[in-house]
Amino acid sequence: MERVQKYTKPARVFHWMHVGAFLLLLITGIILFVPAFGAAAQDSWTRVIHRIGAVIFVLAPLIQIIANRTTAWASVKRAFAWNGDDLKWATAMPRYYFLGDESAMPPQGEMNTGQKLWYTLLLIFGPIFLVTGILMWFFKYSLPSAVFQWSVFVHDVAFILIFLMFLVHIYLGVIHPMMRKHGGSFSSMVDGTVTAEYAKSHHGKWYKEVAKK
Amino acid sequence: MAEKAILYDSSKCTACRGCQVACKQWWGLPGETTTQRGTYENPPDLSADTWVKIKFKEISNGNGGVEWIFTRRSCMHCTDAACIRVCPTGALYHDPSGVVAYNKDLCSGCGYCVEFCPFDVPRAKGNNLTGIRKIDKCGLCGDRIGNGLTPACVKTCPSGALVFGDQSGLVDVGNKRVQELKSTYPDAYLYGEKELGGLHVMYVLTQTPDVHGLPAHPDVPAAAIATDDILPPLAYALTGLAVVGLGINYLVARANANKEAEAKAKK
Repeated sequence: MERVQKYTKPARVFHWMHVGAFLLLLITGIILFVPAFGAAAQDSWTRVIHRIGAVIFVLAPLIQIIANRTTAWASVKRAFAWNGDDLKWATAMPRYYFLGDESAMPPQGEMNTGQKLWYTLLLIFGPIFLVTGILMWFFKYSLPSAVFQWSVFVHDVAFILIFLMFLVHIYLGVIHPMMRKHGGSFSSMVDGTVTAEYAKSHHGKWYKEVAKK
Repeated sequence: MAEKAILYDSSKCTACRGCQVACKQWWGLPGETTTQRGTYENPPDLSADTWVKIKFKEISNGNGGVEWIFTRRSCMHCTDAACIRVCPTGALYHDPSGVVAYNKDLCSGCGYCVEFCPFDVPRAKGNNLTGIRKIDKCGLCGDRIGNGLTPACVKTCPSGALVFGDQSGLVDVGNKRVQELKSTYPDAYLYGEKELGGLHVMYVLTQTPDVHGLPAHPDVPAAAIATDDILPPLAYALTGLAVVGLGINYLVARANANKEAEAKAKK
């Protein structure tokens, strides 16, 4: 089956660093959030791992931005290049994901509407985690208790929402029957390629550009 | 087991600080090196190694003289305890006597109890950068009272300012003492009978709680209720909905994909 390159190596390395940090943060966070797991957090080891995860979580995008300025900036620009097709995509999306009806799906660029949305949400929730996390880590003795208390609350709210988004992200990426038909997107995380068939149906505009080259 | 409590009578306290010493002696807590701050009050604050201390305050007695106000600082052992609510590991819990007991082994060092306590009592000790640390606070000598003894601070108190017993009985003792004091101290008040569902350390105050440095209306912080009573059920419900929703989507989408494949195969 013909395959086309979709993600560069730096983009893949960045994604894997992000995955690693996210999973460290998720697991050590859930242990603290669900009372039934709470006892596992004894003696602070989850706190140490959560801090290591947090540092990677913050450093990875910074390294990516500095080391690959042009591609990183281009991907940010793509993520915010909203147009009329995005609205059409959003309205046609339920029929596609439930019924496999692709007829109304407008051809998408390198990032489809769902991916743009995910990118935007990350740029919103990342800083929320960062700010409330820094407040709780470094400023607990210099700020009023109320700041810490509400930081815990906001950090938890962001955690619940990002966890739900993460479930959807994993599901659409590797579990959804239509994605599996196209070989799933897991391979794109490993070697950066997707099948030409997937590129044609999901990123029509982008595939045309690539095919020209 | 009937609920137990300590009654602290500030009008009988001489601030000898014997309770501070007895607590350190029984629990093997190290003394702290402090500097002279121009007051007999010492050490300056509670710490992971100082679970009880007497606070000194001077106020005008209205006749040009000075009156010394003493207030005990330690865990108040609340019935509606914010620390137990926010503790993620179960290290803090109510024991059958109503005391806020503490299982140090389970402590993760998160410090939520430190930040959510309405009385600013628990203290953390350890490394704040790595997060490896433990909390400490008074446990009302759970080991002693479990064996029929009184808490170390009560045992040593020479002036009768500290009394230990059944909570309900001590409420009566405290209220009676407040009535006696009313003629001299019109603001006398039994603190802890109603506060936070009843405290297991009650104070006979000669002044208003503010003057003693106590919150007049202590509360479980709203953020604790929002974080621990509202968010977890919401999170479980939303996660459940998401899993069910994605599951339904999977079944429907798979059925349709199979149909399509069959149609193609027939062609």
